[in-house]
This record gives sequence, structure tokens and C-alpha cells, in this order.
Amino acid sequence: MTKVNINSISKDDLPWIVEYDSEKCMLCGHCVAACSFDAIKVDVQKRKKVRAISNEEGFQIDEDQKAIPVIRQVIDANNFCRGCGICTKVCPNGAIKITRNRTEIFGTRYRAKTSQSVKRGGRSNLHTEGRTLDKIKVGRISQMTDPSLDALRHTFDLRTNLGRVVSPDNLNFDIENGELKEKPNQNLPVNTSIYPIMFSDMSIGALSPRMWEAIAIATAYLNEVKGIPIRMATGEGGIPDKLLKSKYLKYMILQIASGHFGWNRIINAMPYMQEDPAGILIKIGQGAKPGDGGLLMAEKNVKLIQEIRGVPKADLLSPPNHQGLYSIEESVQKMFLSMNCAFKFKVPVAIKVAASSTSVSVYNNLLRDPYNIVGGFFIDGLQGGTGAAHEISLNHTGHPIVSKLRDCYLAAVHQGKQGQIPIFAGGGIGMNGNLAADTFKMICLGANGVFIGKLILQIAGCVGNDFGKCNGCNTGRCPVGITTQNPKLMQRLDVDRVAENIVNYICATDIELKKLLAPVGNSTLPIGRSDALVCVDRNVANRLDIQYVC
Amino acid sequence: MNKEKLVINTIENENRVSTQNLMQQIWDAISDGCTEFDINACGQHNIGGSVWSKDGSDLNFYIKNPGQRVGAMGAKGTNIYVEGSAPADTGWLNSGAKIVVNGDSGDTTGHCAASGKIYIGGNVGTRSGALMKKDPKFPAPELWVLGSTGSFSFEFMGGGIAVICGLDCEDMPSVLGDRACVGMVGGIVYVRGNIKNLSDDVFLLDLDENDIEFLKTGLKTCLTELKKEEYYDKLCNFEPATTPWHKIVAKTYEERQKQNNISLKTFRVNKWMEEIGGSIFSDLITDDFQSHDLVQTGDARLRKPSWKNYAYSAPCEYNCPIKIPTQKRFSMLRAGKIKEALELVLDYSPFPASVCGQVCPNLCLNHCSRGNFDEPLDVKMLGSLSKDIKIEPVEITHNEKIAIIGSGVAGISAAWQLRRKGYYVEMYESADKIGGKLSQVIPEERLHKEILETELERFKSIGVKIHTSTKVTPKLFKEIESNFDAVIIAIGGHNPVVIPFEGYERLIKGLNFLKDAKNGKKYNLGEKVVVIGAGNAAMDVITEVYKQGGVKEVTAIDIREPSAFEKEIKAAEKLGAKIMYPCFTQKITEKGVYLKDGRFLEADSVIISVGDRPIFDFLNKDYLDEKSRIQFNEFMQTQNEKVFVIGDAIKPGLFTNAIADGKHVSDNVIKFLSHETLTPVKEKDLIPSKRIKSEYYECYNSNCDNEQNRCMSCGYCRDCGLCKQSCPQNAISRIEKENGKYEYISDPNKCIGCGICAGLCPCGIWEIEWCQ
Repeated sequence: MTKVNINSISKDDLPWIVEYDSEKCMLCGHCVAACSFDAIKVDVQKRKKVRAISNEEGFQIDEDQKAIPVIRQVIDANNFCRGCGICTKVCPNGAIKITRNRTEIFGTRYRAKTSQSVKRGGRSNLHTEGRTLDKIKVGRISQMTDPSLDALRHTFDLRTNLGRVVSPDNLNFDIENGELKEKPNQNLPVNTSIYPIMFSDMSIGALSPRMWEAIAIATAYLNEVKGIPIRMATGEGGIPDKLLKSKYLKYMILQIASGHFGWNRIINAMPYMQEDPAGILIKIGQGAKPGDGGLLMAEKNVKLIQEIRGVPKADLLSPPNHQGLYSIEESVQKMFLSMNCAFKFKVPVAIKVAASSTSVSVYNNLLRDPYNIVGGFFIDGLQGGTGAAHEISLNHTGHPIVSKLRDCYLAAVHQGKQGQIPIFAGGGIGMNGNLAADTFKMICLGANGVFIGKLILQIAGCVGNDFGKCNGCNTGRCPVGITTQNPKLMQRLDVDRVAENIVNYICATDIELKKLLAPVGNSTLPIGRSDALVCVDRNVANRLDIQYVC
Repeated sequence: MNKEKLVINTIENENRVSTQNLMQQIWDAISDGCTEFDINACGQHNIGGSVWSKDGSDLNFYIKNPGQRVGAMGAKGTNIYVEGSAPADTGWLNSGAKIVVNGDSGDTTGHCAASGKIYIGGNVGTRSGALMKKDPKFPAPELWVLGSTGSFSFEFMGGGIAVICGLDCEDMPSVLGDRACVGMVGGIVYVRGNIKNLSDDVFLLDLDENDIEFLKTGLKTCLTELKKEEYYDKLCNFEPATTPWHKIVAKTYEERQKQNNISLKTFRVNKWMEEIGGSIFSDLITDDFQSHDLVQTGDARLRKPSWKNYAYSAPCEYNCPIKIPTQKRFSMLRAGKIKEALELVLDYSPFPASVCGQVCPNLCLNHCSRGNFDEPLDVKMLGSLSKDIKIEPVEITHNEKIAIIGSGVAGISAAWQLRRKGYYVEMYESADKIGGKLSQVIPEERLHKEILETELERFKSIGVKIHTSTKVTPKLFKEIESNFDAVIIAIGGHNPVVIPFEGYERLIKGLNFLKDAKNGKKYNLGEKVVVIGAGNAAMDVITEVYKQGGVKEVTAIDIREPSAFEKEIKAAEKLGAKIMYPCFTQKITEKGVYLKDGRFLEADSVIISVGDRPIFDFLNKDYLDEKSRIQFNEFMQTQNEKVFVIGDAIKPGLFTNAIADGKHVSDNVIKFLSHETLTPVKEKDLIPSKRIKSEYYECYNSNCDNEQNRCMSCGYCRDCGLCKQSCPQNAISRIEKENGKYEYISDPNKCIGCGICAGLCPCGIWEIEWCQ
């Protein structure tokens, strides 16, 4: 007799219910062979039928008892169905499908059973914040006032800049032969022209080697074949030596976070670098889990990762802050100055923080920058994604990005310093599928550019969503090979297809960005041009200082 | 009808005539049949546009100084001649007019022209020719320009022909300005001269014969209209080597769909990996960049099955301290090998009937998989069936001699193993009979005398030299030490522990009580008895206390939760005993037991049964630690490498623990004698209970009188072949091996790692694991 204990986790408690039709199933084994979460298993089900009839021979009873093979959902606090739907994809007979369990009891059960916090990947699943950007429309259209442009056929300059921009007062020119010429020896800070969308910092480790390389290849392709000067931030999980020493380094923004993983290799590779990197990004925090450090579960810390990060097999928990930094001033001195020195003041150095109530103070402080070494300010909002975090951080910490970006931009405007330290904003950019719309609106609100992470994974084939589907990045069992270090699962990923999808998506976004630039009549990025926006929500409009419309 | 030419001077009384009034004059004249207009304009718009004669005859306009949109929306049959230049939008939406402008023409000349011909003697402005199109019901529009165009010319052009002659523009970087032909989808633009920054929507081609023919004819007409025939020869250089002429045509719809860029794969292989020297990770991992399907065979599988027959212990075997493979015994019974099954147990224990069948708490049964389903198998019965199995003595084949001190179950177990492996064994026993506590202590109710004696006789039959009533003194031990190659100390625990409470001298020692009782001695315990201790031995004491008779109240107390097995406790309670804990004894008086918490238990007798210690009085102190306990290592070897110690002499335990010790130590003694490395006891893992499928069995099927068919054969293949039958890939085959052995294997080239074999196997033999 199977013992049923009311206190153990039952099928009803799981976040996803596997619905299996034994009549349709031909037991080909595909679903169980393909499931990466060990969430379904082959099992035996006992069937017994007793039939009785009274006829001329009397009261007849016969019995049919047998055990038949079935596919069963695994009921376990760790190996549970995450709703990725791979089983449904591979089933030739439509015999298995998954549905979301509408109760949210699993988190309760999990905590009660394991005394552990719930961890997962993805981004906030609560949806209580709403999508501010969707309430904003591009409402200032060139209609007889000035000519709108043709998005498809006209030329646009979509480049933004990364790197410190000095105040005109500090620029000294000579006039030579009737032309302005920079005075020599001014030590002007480096400034680069790049695409306003950046591939955000996802580490090797969080991503599989194939996925990471696919993004890198897409980046190179977009630059070299499509002429789109996009940059990829590397994340801090070590950088392959071969990339450091190749010419493609020039498209890479190297990240230094609190773990400083892989930096010894970067330093050792410096004498052999053919190109400077595109930038350095000092990561203080990220929007998905502000105030928390990187988290790489031991399952994903395989030999490759151990080697390039220089760590043993263990859960890798980066400290929530850089161990040597205690103040903004110290950050500027230590991190910005050191990174500028390391690359001989030829590479822009930027900093990334999780959006917070304190971001404006930080930005104000950075804006003083008497040394001209602060090359960018990256703010990451609460709808950012991650490979692994405590769910409480994902769902309950952080600050929405839109008003934070606006506040920072207006703070700079207030001082007449807008644009001097470019602002890049991220965290849920493109989460409704339309990157161009979000990018354009953020730019109009004052961003020099945006950065995207989770969206890239979705472009690559991530089956997860923000309604509890999959989000198993932390387990290392990514069913599509994106966030896994398991070689078999990684092999599910087609590097060329992924790179192509990313390239295509960015090319489409490029067209769509122009589709927004054209009607407002801009052929360059309308950074801070908030008159181009209107808002259908009065509170949002007031908060962002844009026009309320209805 | 051609009335006289109408000459219009658009300044009247020093006032400029408005466009509307000029138009009115023209329309009125046309109504009157006038077809010739000589207009000295003053910037009036739209002259020559959308007019037609009633009878269809041509209307001719000769214009000076026109305003914008000369000939705009011009109709077929309208001929316009502009002397000098014209501003923007000349020929806009031309639908059939011929427009000749001597000089330059402004922006968007010919914009949206859909028919008719436009000849411009000079240059045209930006966006000229934009959106020209061809209506199949009308002749295609033509735009002839002797000079150059401004930027963005021929944007979105959908049809028609434009000819840009680039006359006197030879030094210009581009006769079409910047970004010509953006969005062009149809038509032809002939160009003579340099072109820069042309849109990607078009191809720039060389002229063919038809083109040249068309241009030769057309240029003649054009230059004639413009009265510049003298340039004909200059323009008509179509020599392939030197011609400055090209033709621009729009890509077709199909050509536009084509991606001209190199594929991502080509980029990766030919650029990326070429530059980097392989993948960026190629010095760290190997990756062939092949992408795999979700369901795979071979090395690409996520998981792989393996047939792990008897790689795990069944619960019966695992929980038995001696590791008797009961599942194997039942398997033999199923195969009809009854004798072999009953003999097998003797390889593990000399006491299957006495211990398994009688005194053992049968941990094997407690964990039997069948017990999770209905009821555990009857192992007691199985043990008892081996009682009368005889063993043939074996010859002594080794020179080494082994002495065993103590003939309890531990010593007998060791002697049994060693002697049966051909070693000479002598036993020393201080009592007058062998069997240790089985003989001396266990009440007959729990162990039938006849059964024990049968098994002791069987032991004696194998030929061990036994010295009974021989207490080992220090002197004798020294002799044994020097005369034997190995010594096993198996003296058990015969020194009952007494805790020095106040009044401890009143305590009756439990072990002595049991020994005495077994010898028939009667105690006068009174009506109330307290037993200090609640272990298994204390439960035996309780049984014996009741047997003594006259007792009304028995209470066992312990400082912690009773360590006796539940079954033993139940049995004691059934007799009427009460068990209390935690109880800390303070003192014992003639009235009874006083507890530290102030409670008082009235007692006529108090028996202490909290354990028995070994007596090592024959050993010198090198063997002992500071607490007089014997020192030994993981191989049960003492300070003297040839002296081993086992059983209760090490640690109090069950009979099965003692038998297990005897069996294990015999292996290491043999290794020691053969100068091999000693090994700790190896234990197989327990088969996970989930792998045993009870669904195949009928519940409480009492009509099944063969226990072997109730056995679920945990982890031990029953050769049913279900795996082979149900494998969806037909990957599993059964291989016959020697001695009736067999093996199932799964072919990795067919297997997808679904785990159906593992999921269905009734015995949990197939194991599905993640591939590395």
C-alpha cells in the first residue's frame, strides 16, 4: 500500500502539472529522454477491474489485474517540473502537456520542507509594477510642422557615445587655416561612438560557452558585416585568453565585479592584446538582485569555469560589494583611476549599479569627476534578469528603471552637465518583445543607450517566461543549452542559429528604431528629447515630466 | 483648329496677374479653340498643367520665367517649352505632357511623373525623379537631364526612364548627388559620369545594345528639343572601354529578399575562428559545434542505463549485520534450487535456525520491501529450514594455526569461517559448554534447546579443537600468543555493569540473574521488582522475572528512551511490565528506588541490566587503553598485529553483530596470514526503495503459499525480460554466459536514455544515470 503523508509535497503543490494521457502514449520514451529536470519518470501503474454478471450459469465474477507502464510526474522539492515544455515538444502523439498550477503554494512547501530560500533564474514574476514604458507613446509626430523622414530609405546616425564628455569650457581649440583644431596635450578623455543597445553583462558560467560565444560572434558580425557598432559587455566570469588576444576584443566591454574573477588572466594577456577593449564596466550591482552578489551554483561550476575563474568546485557567491570600496569617492579613486591606468586612459571606464533610491546622489557625485575618468553610468532596474538569485531578491527588491533614469538625467540637466557622463539603462528593456520601442523611449527620457540580457536569451531560444515558466537557469539544467554547463545540454544549442537570430533581431530593431526616429523627424538619437513622448497615465506623466494625454 | 497664338504678358498695369487669373485666361482661350500660348510669366505656378483641348489637338506653351510646377499634372497633347530655367516641381505628376526646359530645373523635377517626356537642358535639383512610375496603359515617363541631379534623386522610383547626361559634370564626384535611388523598385536610370553612394536597392550595370540604341535615338530627340545638337557626338560615346555611361536598375522583388551578407556560419568559420584560431574556448574544451536534437542516441544522450544486477543490497541483506543475501536465497528457491538455497546461509552464519529462526530481532524483516506493500517475508521460517543441513568437514590445507578465546557466537562464527576454509582452529572456553550467551543466558522460551544443540553439533562436526572449562590466564594467553599464528579474542561481555548509587550493594546483576535462571536457580524477588535499564537484555530479565512467579509489578526504568526493540518492549509490556523514562536513580534502599526528581518506586528487588563489560584480566596493559578498554583498529586488530578482537568484547551488540564480526575478522585473519593488506568491511549500498515496483504484485495474496513468489527480488534480476520487451528502441539484448549466468545489455547506439527499462524493472536492476 502506498503511504500518503499529508505533510509531504504532493502533485497539487508543484508549480506545474504534467498532464499525461496513457491512451495516447506509445511509450517511445522521448519525453523522459529529453526532460533535463528529471521531472518526469517512467513508472508502473497497477490497474484492476473486477466484473460481475449474473446469468444462466449463476453469478459470474471475473477479474483483470495488470500493471501498465506510464509516465509520471516526479514529486520532489528539487527535481520538479518547471514547465519548460520540452516533453510536449518531443511527444509525437500529443500525450503529454503541462499546465500551470494556479496556486502559489510551492514556495511555501519548499521553504517548509528544506529551510532553504527559493532560488531561481529569470526575472521578477510578480508583475505588480506594470510596464511604465507601455504607458508612454511616441506622440510628437512631424505632421506639417517639419518633414518626417522615411525610416526604411533614409540615412540615420544611430550612434551614441560611451566615455567621458568634457564641458565645452574645457575644450581648447586653435584656428588653423580657417579650421578648428584641438590644442595639443589637453589629455581629453577617450570617447567612443557605439550603438545605443548593448549586450548586457552575462558571465561565462551563467551562460554556456556556446551561448556566450554565440553572442560574441553576433557582436562581431553586426559590427563587421552589418556595420552596426554594437558592443558586448562580458560579465565577470573570466574571459577566454583567445578572445583577449584577438582583434575582436575591441567589441568587448570587460567587466570587473566584486569577485574579480578572471582578471589575473586579463592582466597577463595585456602585453598580447592586439586591440583595446571597447570599455571597462565596473559592476557594483544588478537590478535583478540589488545588494546581492553574483551567484553561481556548484552544479554549474564545472572544470572550464573553475579554470578561467581560478576557483575550486563550490557554490560561488560573489560578495555583494567590492571588498575595498566604502564610499563613492573611493570608488572613483580606486576603481575608475585604476582601470583608466590599466588601459592607459585609452578605454572608457563606466560603472554599473542597481537602480536605487540613492542613484541620483551617486550620479551627482560622479558628475563632479574632476579627473575626467568616469566614462559612463549604467543603471539596472528591477525587471532585470539573472542566471541565479534568491527569489525574494527577484520579486521584492529593486527600483524601477524609468523614473530613475529620468531623475538622473534631469539631475544632470539641472547642472547643465547632461551628456557629460553617458547614462545607460537596463532592466526589463524589451521585455514585452519590442526592444526598439523601449530603447527609443528611454533615449528620449535621457538615456544614451540601453543594455539587454534576458531578451538575448529569449532571442536565442530560451523557453522561459515571466509567468513562472522554466526559470531554471540556476540549476544548470537549461533545456535549450543556454544557461547550462552540461555538455550534452549545451549541444542542443546551435551557435550559428543563435548568432543569426541575435543579428536578425538587432537588424529588425534597427529598422524599428528608425521607424520611431523618422516620424519625430530625427536622423540622430533624440537623447533627452522628452517632448517626443506623451503619456496616458497622469501620475507617470507628472513623475517623468512629460506631457499627459488622453 | 488653330486660332492665332495667344500672347500673355503677366504684368498688367504694373500689377502681376495672379496664377488664378492667368489660368482663367488660358482656359478661356482653350475653350475658344486657341492652342498656342506665348506666356511671359512672372512666377505664376502650374502653367501648362492639367489642360486639354476639346478636339484633342495639341496645346503648345512657350514660357519665360515660370513659377513652380511647370507642366505639373500635364496631360497628353500638351507641349511646354521653357526658355531659361524653371523652379521646383517641373513636370510633377506629369501624365503625358512634353516639357522642355532650356536651362536648369529645380528640386523634385519629374516627381511622380507617370507618363510624358521631360527634357532639361541644365541641372535638376534634389529628389528629382522621385517616385516616377509606369502605368502599363500609358507610355512610360521619361526624364532627360543634360547636367546633373541633386541628392536623393530617383527615391522610391517605381518605373519610367531617366537619362542623366552629366554634361560638363565630368569633375563632379557624383552626377546623381548623394544617396540616389533609395527605395527604387522599378524603372531605369541611365547615367553618364561619376556616381557615389548609390543605394543598396539597385544594381549599377553596363549598357547593352538595346540601351545604346535607345539612347542614340533618344538623345537625338532630346538635343533637338533642347536645340543643343552639337553635343550629340560628345554624349554618344558608347565604346565599351571608355564609355562613361551606366545603367541603374532596381533589384527585383526576389533579389531584394536575398541576403547578400555572408551567413553566420561562414562568418564563424572563415572569419571568427580563423582570426582566433578556433573557438574562443578551444584551449579549454572541445566542441564540434554540431547542434543536437532533443532526443539522441549514443554519446549525445542525456542519460544512459546500466544493468546493475546485485550491485545493491536488498533491504533484507543490507539491514542484516551479517549481510545474509536473503533475496538470493528466495531466487534460488524460485529456481527450484532448494538445497543450494538452504546451504547458502551457512556460508554466512553457523546459526540460521538458532539466531535467524529464533532469537534474532530480524532487522531483515523490518525493512523488507514487501513489508511496505503488505507483509514482510517469513525469514524466520527460512532460517529454521536450514537447521538440519549438514556440512561436510574440510581438510586442513594451511599450516597456520589460529586460536580463538571464547566460544560465544562471535568466536564460533570466526572458527566456522576459518575452519571451513581449511585452517586449524583451537577454541578456549572458560565455561563447561560452548555457545556463550546462547547457551548460558537466553531463556529457553526464546531459544529451543534442541535447535541450539543441533547447530552446536553441526559446528563441532567441522573439526575445531575445543578446550572447555579452560579459563585463559595471563600465563596461558602468553602461551597461546606464542604458539599460534593468529589469535582472536571473542570473550563477550560477562562482567555486568553496576552503577555505584547509594545502596548499590542491594542490586541483583541482570546477567547473573539470567544465567542462574537458565540453570534452574529460583530467586525470591517479592511482589514488586524494579529493573534498572530498558535495553533488550533488560527485556529478557523482565521475561525471566515473570517466569520466576509471584511477581505483581515490574517496572523498568531508564535514563533515556529505551534502547530495546519495539517488539521486545511490547512483549514485556504484554506481561504487565511498565517502562518509565527518563528516570535518574538517586539511591536504593530496602523499600525501593528513589529517583533524583523525588519520585519513589517501591521495590522488593532491584535488578540492574545496563550492559555487560568484557573481562580482560588475561591481557597485559599494552593491549588496553587508560579506561581498560581494548584498543583495536578498523580491521579489529589489537596492538599486537596477530591478535584480533571481536564481538561484545569490543562493543555490546546483537547476536548477528557478533556473527558478522566473526565472519569479517576471519577474512582479515586470512589476509594477515597470507601477508595481504587488510581491508575494512565493505558494504554495498542499499537499493533505493523507489526502484522496487510493488505494482506487479497482488496485495495480501494469501493463496500464494510460496514465500519465494512474494519476494520482490530487490536489486536481484529475476530474468523476466520485461526490459528487453519494452525498450522502444529495441536496444536491449540478453547475453548468455557461462554456468547459466546471463547479462542484459543496452546498445548505446540505439538507446535514447529514456529509462523505460529502469522505470519498469520490477527489481530495480536497471539504473539510469546522467552521462558525464
